[in-house]
Amino acid sequence: MNGEWSVLICGVGGQGIVLFSRVLGTACASSGVNVVTGEQHGLSQRSGTVSIHFRTGPGISSPLIPAGTAECLAGLEALEALRYIEYLKPGGSVFTSTLVMHPVTRTAEREKDPSVAFATADDVVSRLKTLAGEVTALDARSIAVRSGNIQSENMVMLGALSSAGGFPVTAEAVEASIAELVPSAADVNIEAFRAGRAHSSRTPAGS
Amino acid sequence: MSSSFLLSRDPVRAFVLCNEAIARSALEAGIRVYAGYPGSPTVELLEALLEAAPQAGLSAEISMNEKVALETAAGAAMSGMRALASVKSVGLNVASDTFFSLGYTGVTGGLVLVVADDPSAHSSQSEQDGRPYGPAAEVPLLEPCSPSDAFAMVKEAFRISEEFGVPVIMRTVTRVNHQSGVVQSGTLPERDPAKLSWPHKPARFVTVAASARQFHKDALERTSRIREAFESSPLNRVIPGEGRIGIVSAGAGFNYALEACALLGVNPPILKLGTVWPLPTRLVASFLSSLDTVVVVEELSPFLEEGVSLIAREAGVDLEVAGKRSGHFPSALEYDVEVVSGVLSSVFRVPPPVDFAAIRSRADELKKGLPSRPPTFCPGCPHRGSLSILREAMRGIRHVVASDIGCYSMASLEPLVWGDSVLAMGASVGIANGLSYCVAEKVVALMGDSTFFHAGLPGLVNAAYRDADFKLVILDNGVTAMTGQQMNPGTAPGDQPPGRRRIAPEDVVRAVGVEQVAIVDPYDRAAALPAVKEALSSPGFGVIVFRRDCALHADRSKRRRGESIPRSRVSPDACRNYHTCIRSFYCPAISLDDRGKAVIDRDLCDGCLECAELCPNSAIAHEEG
Repeated sequence: MNGEWSVLICGVGGQGIVLFSRVLGTACASSGVNVVTGEQHGLSQRSGTVSIHFRTGPGISSPLIPAGTAECLAGLEALEALRYIEYLKPGGSVFTSTLVMHPVTRTAEREKDPSVAFATADDVVSRLKTLAGEVTALDARSIAVRSGNIQSENMVMLGALSSAGGFPVTAEAVEASIAELVPSAADVNIEAFRAGRAHSSRTPAGS
Repeated sequence: MSSSFLLSRDPVRAFVLCNEAIARSALEAGIRVYAGYPGSPTVELLEALLEAAPQAGLSAEISMNEKVALETAAGAAMSGMRALASVKSVGLNVASDTFFSLGYTGVTGGLVLVVADDPSAHSSQSEQDGRPYGPAAEVPLLEPCSPSDAFAMVKEAFRISEEFGVPVIMRTVTRVNHQSGVVQSGTLPERDPAKLSWPHKPARFVTVAASARQFHKDALERTSRIREAFESSPLNRVIPGEGRIGIVSAGAGFNYALEACALLGVNPPILKLGTVWPLPTRLVASFLSSLDTVVVVEELSPFLEEGVSLIAREAGVDLEVAGKRSGHFPSALEYDVEVVSGVLSSVFRVPPPVDFAAIRSRADELKKGLPSRPPTFCPGCPHRGSLSILREAMRGIRHVVASDIGCYSMASLEPLVWGDSVLAMGASVGIANGLSYCVAEKVVALMGDSTFFHAGLPGLVNAAYRDADFKLVILDNGVTAMTGQQMNPGTAPGDQPPGRRRIAPEDVVRAVGVEQVAIVDPYDRAAALPAVKEALSSPGFGVIVFRRDCALHADRSKRRRGESIPRSRVSPDACRNYHTCIRSFYCPAISLDDRGKAVIDRDLCDGCLECAELCPNSAIAHEEG
């Protein structure tokens, strides 16, 4: 759709993608940007794959992003970033954590057959690069730990995403939204957001 | 969640989930009672109203099941107060007996029932389409497409309910309930906490013989009046367009249709229906009269399509209906812009501007070898230990396992793939009862604590009454875990909400005369295993309770108390690559290192030590310090 900016947010159940979406959506609402999301909520997603379709712009009615049209893809875990690659517009931007969480299904396979290899973040990033215009890979979990709370890896990734071209709101609007939605841990989450943003901004395109 | 949006007396503009928009609108409509049972995708509606209840002067409860929830809301509405109930698709089946009678008697105060269907069965046992319940019970059915649409519709639903003295269904689907958008709220009304005086009208709500026959006649006549009123309902709108191909749609289908048209660059007239049953006959006929072809865009069954086709035939409008019966659309799985634009492309004879199939096939190439990630038991989940102990206890014993609805349903998924049936809430005990008449194997029924209270009790009494030869295993984690750890009667006394007392499952079991009751702790494998073996070995009906708090719930409690969560580690020297902690156990925190030794991700580990109890080399222990 004209004037649309969409991001497919994904990760593993428990990584906090609902809060990621809520913070960004609230920032959009307070900035007068129209936003529609299609979300996946907790429940049956125990340690399973989770995704949120996040769309901004006028005239959007579908909560689901049509394949091949998202400007960005934000993966809180590397394998999950690859899992949703069909939503990315060719030449779009991927922001992914270098964290790889091996699904129990793969551990089970490897237990039976030691020749079964675990995936690596490098392999995922090189595959992503064949479709994406740029891939920003960062160790969001370590950055979150350094910022004071491992649970804020979602805000680190939101910070990284905030440096994307066309990002619909200002960093200040996101920070205000964090303060509103997570009042009890605003400082650590804003710190994580800033760390992710700083990391992404100083990473040259294509790296 | 967003309590300022729910509770602000003045209008608020906010980014909210549709379920929260429905909750706020119901509060603005002045509901006095809310009742529901947690089921995806309605959970956030239930949680929002439960959270808002004390400040909003609302009586809100998680009822034992959907039937009790609907009856609770109905009782309030019979008194003249407004009430809301919410159920997931299959929850209406549980409530259906009362629901049909309510369609006869109607109500006095407004009664709105939110029924959330789940196309693609994201978190349900079926793709059940709840819309046929409307005509079957003479209950009008509305359907919104977005948070703001739903927000407006709830208030209109209460108005309709009171104008016609009828319960109203607002039917949603997962992609509407779990859609967020920007919603502008209205003003919350002042609360009048006074109770009403029951308006004695003999037989007003009594459905027996002669009165049942009269109620039915009245309901049919009421439907005619509602159909007439829907002709001019603000919930239906025609979006003008060009050409002799038009679209009729509602709910989620409308969202996709609108965007698919924009994608294809076509601008047909679109009838967006909010009143899905009864259909406004003249409005639909008038819309169809200028068309050669109508495309009906709706997920699941051809419910609108059949109604539209009948209206066309009766009005003498000769046109093609492109829908499911014509083979254009599938009747299974949810739609999206890709599905709908594919059909519209062929009907409008416009080439698709995007080759979605090529995009997906290129992505599939990139994803070769990517492991699937099905949902699985959380680190620390007591079910992991319970199921492991139960399977170990039954090793060498031929057995059949009737399972049930809850987190433990995941035992049927990769990599465990265990259990012989999962049908419906509470069904395991009835299925096991039937199996026990017929199969030579040891029969075991599995059930969680919430399911036990929801629909397990009649099956329990049935089994106890005839001393059926099977064992009921209650996996008691103290909360309704799958839907987000809501409290239930079995929740520990210290965690119960104010004014609720604990009812232990085993007290109910013993009260109906069951003598074989074993209670074990899945974290204490050494003690549990022999106890479970012994319990399984005796003939007749017996109950085994595995008791340990849901790990997510327990962790939250620990954090609230300021306690840290211990982490476990594998000693690489002690680990001898037996992989007992991996095989048949499958914890997301346990993986393998390059040397084939088990390794625990300390960021995921819950420190439960269930794995340590399995390790023959005692290689796993809590981290030092």
